[in-house]
Amino acid sequence: MVVGEYWEEFKARSETKEGDEDPEKVLDELGVERQCCRRMLVSHKDLVDIVAPYQ
Amino acid sequence: MTEDYEVEFIERGDRHARFLVRGVTPAFANGIRRAIIADVPTLSIDTVRMVENSSVMFDEQLGLRLGLVPLTTPLGEFEEGDTVTLSLDVSGPSTAYSGDLVSSDGMVQPADDNIPIIDLKDDQRLELEADAVLSTGKDHAKHQGGVAVGYRHLQRVEVLGDSDEYGEEETNILRGVIEEDGELVPTEEFDHDLTNRYPGKEIEVHDVPNAFVFDVDTDGSLTVDEIVTAAAASISDRADELEQAVQL
Repeated sequence: MVVGEYWEEFKARSETKEGDEDPEKVLDELGVERQCCRRMLVSHKDLVDIVAPYQ
Repeated sequence: MTEDYEVEFIERGDRHARFLVRGVTPAFANGIRRAIIADVPTLSIDTVRMVENSSVMFDEQLGLRLGLVPLTTPLGEFEEGDTVTLSLDVSGPSTAYSGDLVSSDGMVQPADDNIPIIDLKDDQRLELEADAVLSTGKDHAKHQGGVAVGYRHLQRVEVLGDSDEYGEEETNILRGVIEEDGELVPTEEFDHDLTNRYPGKEIEVHDVPNAFVFDVDTDGSLTVDEIVTAAAASISDRADELEQAVQL
Protein backbone atom coordinates (compact mmCIF):
# COMPACT_ATOMS: atom_id res chain seq x y z
CA MET A 1 0.00 0.00 0.00
CA VAL A 2 0.93 3.64 -0.43
CA VAL A 3 -0.48 5.95 2.25
CA GLY A 4 -1.02 8.75 -0.27
CA GLU A 5 -3.86 6.65 -1.69
CA TYR A 6 -5.92 7.31 1.46
CA TRP A 7 -5.11 10.99 1.95
CA GLU A 8 -8.06 12.57 0.13
CA GLU A 9 -10.62 10.37 1.84
CA PHE A 10 -9.00 10.77 5.24
CA LYS A 11 -8.92 14.55 4.79
CA ALA A 12 -12.56 14.64 3.77
CA ARG A 13 -13.77 12.49 6.66
CA SER A 14 -11.56 13.16 9.69
CA GLU A 15 -12.76 15.79 12.20
CA THR A 16 -9.16 16.90 12.61
CA LYS A 17 -9.21 17.94 8.94
CA GLU A 18 -12.35 18.79 6.98
CA GLY A 19 -14.80 16.09 8.07
CA ASP A 20 -16.70 15.22 11.22
CA GLU A 21 -15.63 11.64 11.98
CA ASP A 22 -13.25 10.23 14.58
CA PRO A 23 -9.85 9.91 12.86
CA GLU A 24 -9.16 6.61 14.63
CA LYS A 25 -12.30 5.06 13.18
CA VAL A 26 -11.65 6.50 9.72
CA LEU A 27 -8.15 4.98 9.64
CA ASP A 28 -9.50 1.62 10.84
CA GLU A 29 -12.14 1.64 8.12
CA LEU A 30 -9.62 2.59 5.46
CA GLY A 31 -7.50 -0.38 6.53
CA VAL A 32 -4.51 1.77 7.50
CA GLU A 33 -3.34 -0.45 10.36
CA ARG A 34 0.32 0.19 11.06
CA GLN A 35 1.03 3.12 13.35
CA CYS A 36 3.85 4.24 11.09
CA CYS A 37 1.25 4.62 8.25
CA ARG A 38 -1.32 6.21 10.54
CA ARG A 39 1.00 8.91 11.83
CA MET A 40 1.75 10.00 8.26
CA LEU A 41 -1.91 10.84 7.66
CA VAL A 42 -2.68 12.17 11.14
CA SER A 43 0.26 14.56 11.20
CA HIS A 44 0.19 15.74 7.61
CA LYS A 45 -0.55 19.34 6.76
CA ASP A 46 -1.10 20.51 3.20
CA LEU A 47 1.23 23.44 2.61
CA VAL A 48 0.71 24.05 -1.11
CA ASP A 49 -2.09 26.54 -0.41
CA ILE A 50 0.22 28.54 1.85
CA VAL A 51 3.15 28.53 -0.55
CA ALA A 52 1.15 29.10 -3.74
CA PRO A 53 0.79 32.93 -3.52
CA TYR A 54 4.57 33.41 -3.33
CA GLN A 55 5.37 31.58 -6.52
CA MET B 1 16.30 -28.18 -0.29
CA THR B 2 16.09 -31.91 0.00
CA GLU B 3 13.76 -31.83 2.99
CA ASP B 4 10.03 -31.72 2.36
CA TYR B 5 8.31 -28.48 3.10
CA GLU B 6 4.70 -27.45 3.07
CA VAL B 7 2.81 -24.20 2.83
CA GLU B 8 -0.52 -23.41 4.43
CA PHE B 9 -2.40 -20.12 4.07
CA ILE B 10 -3.91 -18.39 7.07
CA GLU B 11 -5.01 -15.29 5.18
CA ARG B 12 -4.84 -14.90 1.45
CA GLY B 13 -5.54 -11.74 -0.52
CA ASP B 14 -4.11 -10.03 -3.57
CA ARG B 15 -2.07 -7.54 -1.62
CA HIS B 16 -1.79 -9.08 1.81
CA ALA B 17 -1.37 -12.65 2.95
CA ARG B 18 -0.23 -14.70 5.91
CA PHE B 19 1.02 -18.20 5.38
CA LEU B 20 2.79 -20.91 7.29
CA VAL B 21 5.84 -22.65 5.85
CA ARG B 22 7.05 -25.83 7.52
CA GLY B 23 10.31 -27.64 7.07
CA VAL B 24 12.59 -24.72 6.23
CA THR B 25 15.60 -23.47 8.14
CA PRO B 26 15.64 -19.99 9.67
CA ALA B 27 18.29 -19.06 7.08
CA PHE B 28 16.04 -20.08 4.22
CA ALA B 29 13.07 -18.23 5.70
CA ASN B 30 15.18 -15.11 5.90
CA GLY B 31 16.42 -15.72 2.37
CA ILE B 32 12.83 -15.64 1.14
CA ARG B 33 12.14 -12.46 3.07
CA ARG B 34 15.18 -10.74 1.66
CA ALA B 35 14.45 -11.92 -1.87
CA ILE B 36 10.91 -10.51 -1.66
CA ILE B 37 12.27 -7.15 -0.59
CA ALA B 38 15.41 -6.78 -2.64
CA ASP B 39 15.40 -9.22 -5.55
CA VAL B 40 11.98 -9.19 -7.18
CA PRO B 41 12.03 -6.41 -9.76
CA THR B 42 9.14 -4.00 -10.25
CA LEU B 43 8.55 -1.14 -12.66
CA SER B 44 8.93 2.37 -11.36
CA ILE B 45 9.32 5.78 -13.00
CA ASP B 46 12.99 6.60 -13.28
CA THR B 47 13.39 9.32 -15.91
CA VAL B 48 11.12 12.31 -16.38
CA ARG B 49 11.06 14.74 -19.29
CA MET B 50 9.24 17.89 -18.21
CA VAL B 51 7.32 19.66 -20.97
CA GLU B 52 5.76 22.21 -18.67
CA ASN B 53 5.91 22.55 -14.91
CA SER B 54 4.43 25.75 -13.57
CA SER B 55 3.44 24.12 -10.25
CA VAL B 56 4.87 25.17 -6.88
CA MET B 57 7.33 22.27 -6.78
CA PHE B 58 10.61 21.73 -8.56
CA ASP B 59 10.94 19.17 -11.35
CA GLU B 60 13.06 16.84 -9.24
CA GLN B 61 10.62 16.93 -6.32
CA LEU B 62 7.88 15.79 -8.66
CA GLY B 63 10.26 13.23 -10.15
CA LEU B 64 10.72 11.69 -6.71
CA ARG B 65 6.97 11.55 -6.12
CA LEU B 66 6.36 9.96 -9.52
CA GLY B 67 8.98 7.32 -8.81
CA LEU B 68 7.14 6.28 -5.65
CA VAL B 69 3.89 5.50 -7.49
CA PRO B 70 3.63 1.70 -7.73
CA LEU B 71 3.02 0.42 -11.26
CA THR B 72 1.49 -2.96 -12.03
CA THR B 73 4.27 -5.19 -13.30
CA PRO B 74 3.33 -8.24 -15.38
CA LEU B 75 5.67 -11.13 -14.55
CA GLY B 76 7.82 -12.46 -17.33
CA GLU B 77 6.96 -9.74 -19.83
CA PHE B 78 9.95 -7.54 -19.16
CA GLU B 79 13.66 -7.94 -18.64
CA GLU B 80 15.50 -5.90 -16.06
CA GLY B 81 16.33 -2.56 -17.64
CA ASP B 82 13.33 -2.52 -20.00
CA THR B 83 11.32 0.69 -20.03
CA VAL B 84 7.70 1.70 -20.45
CA THR B 85 6.69 5.27 -21.25
CA LEU B 86 3.94 7.08 -19.38
CA SER B 87 2.63 10.60 -19.74
CA LEU B 88 0.81 13.08 -17.55
CA ASP B 89 -1.00 16.24 -18.54
CA VAL B 90 -3.05 18.11 -15.96
CA SER B 91 -4.04 21.78 -15.90
CA GLY B 92 -5.11 23.72 -12.81
CA PRO B 93 -7.19 24.37 -10.91
CA SER B 94 -7.13 20.68 -10.05
CA THR B 95 -4.96 18.03 -8.44
CA ALA B 96 -2.75 15.73 -10.47
CA TYR B 97 -3.27 12.15 -9.25
CA SER B 98 -1.40 8.95 -9.98
CA GLY B 99 -4.53 7.86 -11.86
CA ASP B 100 -3.94 10.67 -14.37
CA LEU B 101 -0.81 8.91 -15.63
CA VAL B 102 -1.44 7.52 -19.10
CA SER B 103 0.59 4.43 -19.92
CA SER B 104 1.75 3.33 -23.35
CA ASP B 105 1.36 -0.29 -22.24
CA GLY B 106 -2.03 -1.56 -21.12
CA MET B 107 -0.49 -4.07 -18.70
CA VAL B 108 1.43 -1.36 -16.88
CA GLN B 109 -0.86 0.93 -14.90
CA PRO B 110 -0.64 2.81 -11.61
CA ALA B 111 -1.58 0.29 -8.90
CA ASP B 112 -3.44 3.00 -6.98
CA ASP B 113 -5.32 5.85 -8.66
CA ASN B 114 -5.76 8.32 -5.81
CA ILE B 115 -2.19 9.17 -4.85
CA PRO B 116 -1.94 12.98 -5.03
CA ILE B 117 1.11 14.17 -6.98
CA ILE B 118 0.64 17.92 -6.85
CA ASP B 119 -2.17 20.40 -6.29
CA LEU B 120 -2.36 22.83 -9.20
CA LYS B 121 -3.81 26.34 -8.88
CA ASP B 122 -5.26 28.54 -11.68
CA ASP B 123 -2.88 28.90 -14.61
CA GLN B 124 -0.59 26.18 -13.29
CA ARG B 125 0.02 23.22 -15.50
CA LEU B 126 1.99 20.01 -15.44
CA GLU B 127 2.86 18.12 -18.58
CA LEU B 128 5.50 15.46 -18.71
CA GLU B 129 6.65 12.22 -20.21
CA ALA B 130 8.21 9.59 -17.98
CA ASP B 131 10.08 6.33 -18.47
CA ALA B 132 9.43 3.54 -16.00
CA VAL B 133 12.24 1.02 -15.73
CA LEU B 134 12.24 -2.54 -14.38
CA SER B 135 14.72 -2.86 -11.55
CA THR B 136 15.13 -4.34 -8.06
CA GLY B 137 14.81 -3.04 -4.52
CA LYS B 138 18.57 -3.46 -4.21
CA ASP B 139 18.93 -0.66 -6.75
CA HIS B 140 16.39 1.74 -5.28
CA ALA B 141 13.71 1.35 -2.60
CA LYS B 142 11.03 2.52 -5.05
CA HIS B 143 11.44 -0.83 -6.84
CA GLN B 144 10.55 -2.81 -3.71
CA GLY B 145 7.36 -4.72 -4.30
CA GLY B 146 7.07 -6.04 -0.75
CA VAL B 147 6.04 -3.76 2.09
CA ALA B 148 6.82 -4.70 5.71
CA VAL B 149 7.60 -8.31 4.89
CA GLY B 150 8.34 -10.42 7.92
CA TYR B 151 8.02 -13.79 9.55
CA ARG B 152 7.90 -15.25 13.00
CA HIS B 153 7.97 -18.71 14.46
CA LEU B 154 4.79 -20.68 14.67
CA GLN B 155 4.23 -21.21 18.38
CA ARG B 156 2.54 -23.74 20.55
CA VAL B 157 1.22 -23.34 24.06
CA GLU B 158 1.93 -25.93 26.70
CA VAL B 159 -0.39 -26.08 29.69
CA LEU B 160 1.68 -26.84 32.78
CA GLY B 161 -1.21 -26.90 35.22
CA ASP B 162 -3.51 -24.58 37.11
CA SER B 163 -2.17 -21.20 38.07
CA ASP B 164 -1.96 -20.05 41.66
CA GLU B 165 -5.51 -19.91 42.96
CA TYR B 166 -5.12 -16.53 44.57
CA GLY B 167 -2.51 -15.31 42.14
CA GLU B 168 -3.21 -12.18 40.22
CA GLU B 169 -4.58 -12.77 36.73
CA GLU B 170 -2.22 -10.77 34.54
CA THR B 171 -2.50 -10.33 30.82
CA ASN B 172 -0.19 -12.51 28.76
CA ILE B 173 0.18 -10.89 25.36
CA LEU B 174 1.30 -12.89 22.35
CA ARG B 175 1.13 -11.82 18.71
CA GLY B 176 1.32 -14.25 15.86
CA VAL B 177 -0.17 -17.64 15.20
CA ILE B 178 -0.34 -20.57 17.59
CA GLU B 179 -0.80 -24.23 16.82
CA GLU B 180 -3.35 -26.09 18.87
CA ASP B 181 -3.88 -29.81 18.12
CA GLY B 182 -2.95 -29.23 14.49
CA GLU B 183 -5.25 -26.21 14.19
CA LEU B 184 -3.76 -22.82 13.38
CA VAL B 185 -5.16 -20.08 15.57
CA PRO B 186 -4.20 -16.44 14.87
CA THR B 187 -3.82 -14.60 18.17
CA GLU B 188 -6.40 -12.02 16.98
CA GLU B 189 -9.02 -14.63 17.84
CA PHE B 190 -8.42 -14.11 21.56
CA ASP B 191 -7.40 -10.48 21.39
CA HIS B 192 -3.70 -11.44 21.54
CA ASP B 193 -4.14 -12.34 25.23
CA LEU B 194 -3.39 -15.92 26.25
CA THR B 195 -5.30 -15.53 29.53
CA ASN B 196 -8.49 -15.26 27.45
CA ARG B 197 -7.72 -18.57 25.82
CA TYR B 198 -6.37 -20.42 28.86
CA PRO B 199 -8.02 -18.83 31.90
CA GLY B 200 -6.60 -19.93 35.20
CA LYS B 201 -3.85 -22.04 33.65
CA GLU B 202 -0.14 -21.88 34.00
CA ILE B 203 1.31 -21.98 30.50
CA GLU B 204 4.54 -21.91 28.58
CA VAL B 205 4.96 -20.81 24.96
CA HIS B 206 7.35 -22.69 22.69
CA ASP B 207 8.54 -22.02 19.16
CA VAL B 208 7.74 -24.82 16.72
CA PRO B 209 11.07 -25.67 15.08
CA ASN B 210 11.43 -24.87 11.38
CA ALA B 211 7.88 -23.55 11.06
CA PHE B 212 7.53 -19.89 10.08
CA VAL B 213 4.51 -17.69 9.63
CA PHE B 214 5.16 -15.13 6.90
CA ASP B 215 3.33 -11.85 6.72
CA VAL B 216 3.58 -10.33 3.25
CA ASP B 217 2.13 -7.04 2.10
CA THR B 218 2.69 -5.68 -1.39
CA ASP B 219 2.44 -2.19 -2.82
CA GLY B 220 0.16 -3.45 -5.59
CA SER B 221 2.78 -3.76 -8.32
CA LEU B 222 2.60 -7.55 -7.92
CA THR B 223 0.19 -9.82 -6.08
CA VAL B 224 1.42 -11.71 -3.01
CA ASP B 225 1.39 -14.99 -4.97
CA GLU B 226 3.48 -13.47 -7.73
CA ILE B 227 6.03 -11.83 -5.47
CA VAL B 228 6.60 -14.91 -3.31
CA THR B 229 6.96 -17.31 -6.23
CA ALA B 230 9.27 -14.86 -8.00
CA ALA B 231 11.36 -14.56 -4.83
CA ALA B 232 11.67 -18.33 -4.52
CA ALA B 233 12.58 -18.55 -8.22
CA SER B 234 15.27 -15.90 -7.80
CA ILE B 235 16.88 -17.89 -4.96
CA SER B 236 16.73 -21.03 -7.07
CA ASP B 237 18.29 -19.24 -10.06
CA ARG B 238 21.13 -17.92 -7.95
CA ALA B 239 21.74 -21.35 -6.42
CA ASP B 240 21.98 -22.81 -9.94
CA GLU B 241 24.32 -20.04 -10.95
CA LEU B 242 26.53 -20.78 -7.95
CA GLU B 243 26.52 -24.49 -8.74
CA GLN B 244 27.63 -23.76 -12.31
CA ALA B 245 30.32 -21.37 -11.12
CA VAL B 246 31.95 -23.81 -8.71
CA GLN B 247 31.90 -26.80 -11.05
CA LEU B 248 35.17 -27.97 -12.47
